[in-house]
Amino acid sequence: MTATSHRGSPTTYRGGPSQQVPSGEAPGPTPTSRPQAPGLYPWIMAGSVAVAVLGAALSLNGVFRGWAWFMPLITTVVAVALTLAILRTLRIQPLVTTLGALAALAGILSFTFCRQDSFLGFIPTTGTFAAVGRLIKRAAETVVSESAPVAPNAGIVFITCACLGLLVILIDALAVPLSMPAASGVGLIAVMVVPATIKPQSVGVAGFVGATVGYLLILGCSHWFAPDARLQSGAPRSSGQIRRSLVTGALALGLALVVPLAIPGFETGTFPQGSRLSPWGTSNGLNPMITLGNSLRSPTGAGRITYSTSSSAATYLRSVTVDHFDGETWAPDDRSATRRAGVDRIEPGYSIQGEVVNAVTSINAGLFTSPYLPAPFAPVSVNGLNGRWTWDPATLSIMSTESSTLAQRYVVFSAAPKITAQALSQATGKPKSISDDFLRVPGNLPSIVRQTAEQVTSSAGNNYAKALAIQKYLRSSEFTYSLQAPVQNGYDGNGLSVLADFLAVKSGYCVHFSSAMAVMARVEGIPSRIAVGYAPGRLTGETVALVGQGSFPEYEVDARDAHAWPELYFEGLGWVPFEPTPSRGVVPEYATESSVPGSLSTNADEKDVPGTAVTPPPSTFPLPGGDAQTAGSAPSDPLPTVIGTIAAVLLLAAFLGSPRLSRVVLRRRRLNPKEPADRGSPGHQDSAALAWAELQDLATDYGVPSTPSETPRHFSSRLRSSSILGEAGGLDDAAHAAVASLTADFERQRYGRPMEAASPAAARIAVVRESLRNNTSWLVRFRATWLPPSLMRRWFHALGAPFRAVGSLFRRTGQGIARSWRALRGLLPQRR
Amino acid sequence: MESKRQVTVEPSPLQGEAYSALPRDAALLNGHKPQVMDAERFHDASERILASIGKVIDGKADAAKLALTVLLAQGHLLLEDVPGVGKTLLAKTLARTVDCTVSRIQFTPDLLPSDVTGVSIYNQSSRQFEFRPGAVFANIVIGDEINRASAKTQSALLECMEEHQVTVDGHSYQLGLPFMVVATQNPIEMEGTYPLPEAQRDRFMARISMGYPDTDAEIEMLETHQAASPLINVTPVVTAADVAAMIAAVQQVYVSTAIKEYTVAIGRATRESARLRLGASPRSLLQLLRAAKATAALDGRDFVLPDDVVDVAESVLAHRIILDRKAASSGDTPQTVLRGILASLPVAQEPPGAWRRDKQSA
Repeated sequence: MTATSHRGSPTTYRGGPSQQVPSGEAPGPTPTSRPQAPGLYPWIMAGSVAVAVLGAALSLNGVFRGWAWFMPLITTVVAVALTLAILRTLRIQPLVTTLGALAALAGILSFTFCRQDSFLGFIPTTGTFAAVGRLIKRAAETVVSESAPVAPNAGIVFITCACLGLLVILIDALAVPLSMPAASGVGLIAVMVVPATIKPQSVGVAGFVGATVGYLLILGCSHWFAPDARLQSGAPRSSGQIRRSLVTGALALGLALVVPLAIPGFETGTFPQGSRLSPWGTSNGLNPMITLGNSLRSPTGAGRITYSTSSSAATYLRSVTVDHFDGETWAPDDRSATRRAGVDRIEPGYSIQGEVVNAVTSINAGLFTSPYLPAPFAPVSVNGLNGRWTWDPATLSIMSTESSTLAQRYVVFSAAPKITAQALSQATGKPKSISDDFLRVPGNLPSIVRQTAEQVTSSAGNNYAKALAIQKYLRSSEFTYSLQAPVQNGYDGNGLSVLADFLAVKSGYCVHFSSAMAVMARVEGIPSRIAVGYAPGRLTGETVALVGQGSFPEYEVDARDAHAWPELYFEGLGWVPFEPTPSRGVVPEYATESSVPGSLSTNADEKDVPGTAVTPPPSTFPLPGGDAQTAGSAPSDPLPTVIGTIAAVLLLAAFLGSPRLSRVVLRRRRLNPKEPADRGSPGHQDSAALAWAELQDLATDYGVPSTPSETPRHFSSRLRSSSILGEAGGLDDAAHAAVASLTADFERQRYGRPMEAASPAAARIAVVRESLRNNTSWLVRFRATWLPPSLMRRWFHALGAPFRAVGSLFRRTGQGIARSWRALRGLLPQRR
Repeated sequence: MESKRQVTVEPSPLQGEAYSALPRDAALLNGHKPQVMDAERFHDASERILASIGKVIDGKADAAKLALTVLLAQGHLLLEDVPGVGKTLLAKTLARTVDCTVSRIQFTPDLLPSDVTGVSIYNQSSRQFEFRPGAVFANIVIGDEINRASAKTQSALLECMEEHQVTVDGHSYQLGLPFMVVATQNPIEMEGTYPLPEAQRDRFMARISMGYPDTDAEIEMLETHQAASPLINVTPVVTAADVAAMIAAVQQVYVSTAIKEYTVAIGRATRESARLRLGASPRSLLQLLRAAKATAALDGRDFVLPDDVVDVAESVLAHRIILDRKAASSGDTPQTVLRGILASLPVAQEPPGAWRRDKQSA
């Protein structure tokens, strides 16, 4: 019977412990010798795979908002893993097992997501496939239209569950029938690539640890139940393995945590946080507010644009206007219905009263690629563009649906009203000729925003004064410019909660400053929007001739100059830019309180001190107190610094010198035992053993460590035949004699009859040490003096004690579980 | 059979009524103890024996030393190797070097137990049964091709080896001192043989595989041994009493607790090893320690070092342990397994740290 059942399932059950059983006993008819029993293996393996996949999925937390998506994921993964385990226990063929798991995946997905469309709630029908199609379409929409923490709608969660369920099957197939457990890590990495590229915090600790634990479990599982007896032979699973792997893992983890701290510039410079691989490159249709931060954090100035302009100062280049604020995010509204084709003549949709300043700007977009065209405000006509371009009458942003700015050279004629403080303060008329969209404030605005706005503008009379007050507040020394702070504090984005966080933490970059000012302006009844583009940039030192205008200096901007600024609408003047971001851009003359001309210095210095206290232009904002405070803390009081430095140096010296010191003390204690008198003869007897211990440590320090399984005589002869003691008979004969006599003394004391004390060993040890020092390289000498391996080994041994304890605990727990499992299985009726 | 009779016929003291219950050397065992040889004379005597053997057996100093070790440790020696490498020669040389009684038994399938132990014969003149001692009544007994005899005969030898006495018709007869059985066994041509069972192998203190001599030793052997048998030149260099005194000296060798612990640890390790089906027996550990004592004495020491134990461990233990089937099929031999165990077993040394010493002595 038993034999038939085996023939019936000629399973290549490669993972099970069955292969250990000699083939001669395989067809044994006794029910007790069940050679093919897979035992615990499938369950542990399936559990490991589930842990690995779920652990890796933990890292998706920042990709999806909240945790609602995790529950369906757990049910899917666990259901698939359970199916696998059950099928394996029943010893079904591997291919059928995989197919069964796929069926289970389909069933659980139908049950979770398309229950109404499925037969009996979990059997897929044609209706189910239609529902799945809708879900996939919805997921695709989400991927294209939403940015990083997306709402976990059914579509995206369905896709996630399906992928991870498939991953479980794939990993299991790799690990069990294909016997390639190590390759299963690739699948886990595939999961973690998503958060690594999308989330500013990258994978995160929880996800990494979870995935690693699961992966190690898979590896360990396939090792413990290895089909090849040789792999697990001679390796009692208990003793060394777990300890070794724990120590290795702890070391690796420690290094991974410590090394980035030790290497300067891991957060800025070469690998600035957040400037990781961005799947969308430079902005291309997705929300420019999101990509702006990435551009700013990029270490190299990608997308260099050069321009020269006939206007008196460098200008802001505006590529897109962000005006649609739905409470969740600020996003551009393309208004594709009302866009007008042809950029020869562009008209603003409102009337401008007063003087108009005309300018000609020649722009070379170079490698910068974007559907939005960077242009100075407000463009009147654009010449020299290739492709079809359209413009939006409401925002004057120029956009192409089919071509991009790549390698475009064009000339923009722009006309902006001459804006003065006087004109602004007189522009108190109620905004006409623009839509109410620019005034819309979402109902769920955090109270902190409204409170702050009211508080800041409480003393201001007209709109201009309110705008100035808001700008002044944001540029005050309370706020710091930092590209990293929002990332670290988790509010890198542009939603409402982000805004509240920003106002609380008071640190961020242009996206936060501009959206804060825009929202606060809307709260105060001033129409506002956000312009995204480039701050003026730097002079290249070259001049460019503009047709009919003469030659003008050339400026350059690149990704690091990416900027966002608010534009406020004043009736009669149109959209007026403001500059609430400290240390960036140029504060326009009209936007300064006293009409002192703003300095032309742009953002030259902010790269050097990101995240530190920003000193605003002193001419524009005299800040009493603030300056003194920031300047006074460091140099005023040198004494504590000096003391601290000295203490640090002393501590460092003590730290570095402690091995040497300990070693010397240990040697002293061994060679001059303190208490020979009160202990009587035992103290004397120990002297040879102590001298021997010292000799062993000395040899260890100089590169000939003793092993516990070798006899004293063997160690002695090994030491004497090694090169570090020099040659016998020559200069180092004394050392050889000393080693020999120390060995003899120790042997006599340790193994011989009890007898009186041996002669003092200090002199002989000194001879040996001298000889060792003479025969080794300086490197070995240095190590022996400052980092004696004998001592280090003992210290590391002591450090490893907790790990060993944990290891033995695991081992005992595992043995206990195995024992109770075996007892439990003995109670079950035997399967035929 | 002829050779056996030739050698076993010894001077009268062993025969007749004078030999009733107490052999000549019984006094050595039961009464006053033999003289303990001092270290210097011990050294001289051992040097002489080894030199004498070395004259006959070229290039096998290790085997010769081990044979002497076994003699001094009151054990028995099993020489196991292919034919023609000098097994019997070694046994004979050792026997001749010592001035003592020697007998040789050529084991054949028809050899009877009484041929080994002796038999009671009815003496018609005295009208009494008289005990005629067998071949085993000698100081050194050479058993050639021991695996050719039947199990019955082999086990007759067993009692003698273990108990140093022969029991015939209810009478026990003590054997001489020193008493040593040197048996040879041929591992090739196993057909029609009775391989020694484990119990019997366990009674031999050590097993030596002679092995082929190296080139130089072989050339020298061809030169010197052309004309006549080298055995002719071998003359006794020590007396049986000397050997007894040497044995007594070996018994005086001191064994520290650490060595005992180490020996026991070796035994436990063989029993716990996953690659062994049968580990070392307590008797084998006792014999291991005795062999180690003899090694220490031959090395001129009056105490045993771990090195002594390690030196003889392979010879003493390898023929007693039985490999697990898996280990055997994966190419392990008892020797390699033992070496592995010895290489991983901590030697009982003083722990290296001073603080541990405090803990220990506290």
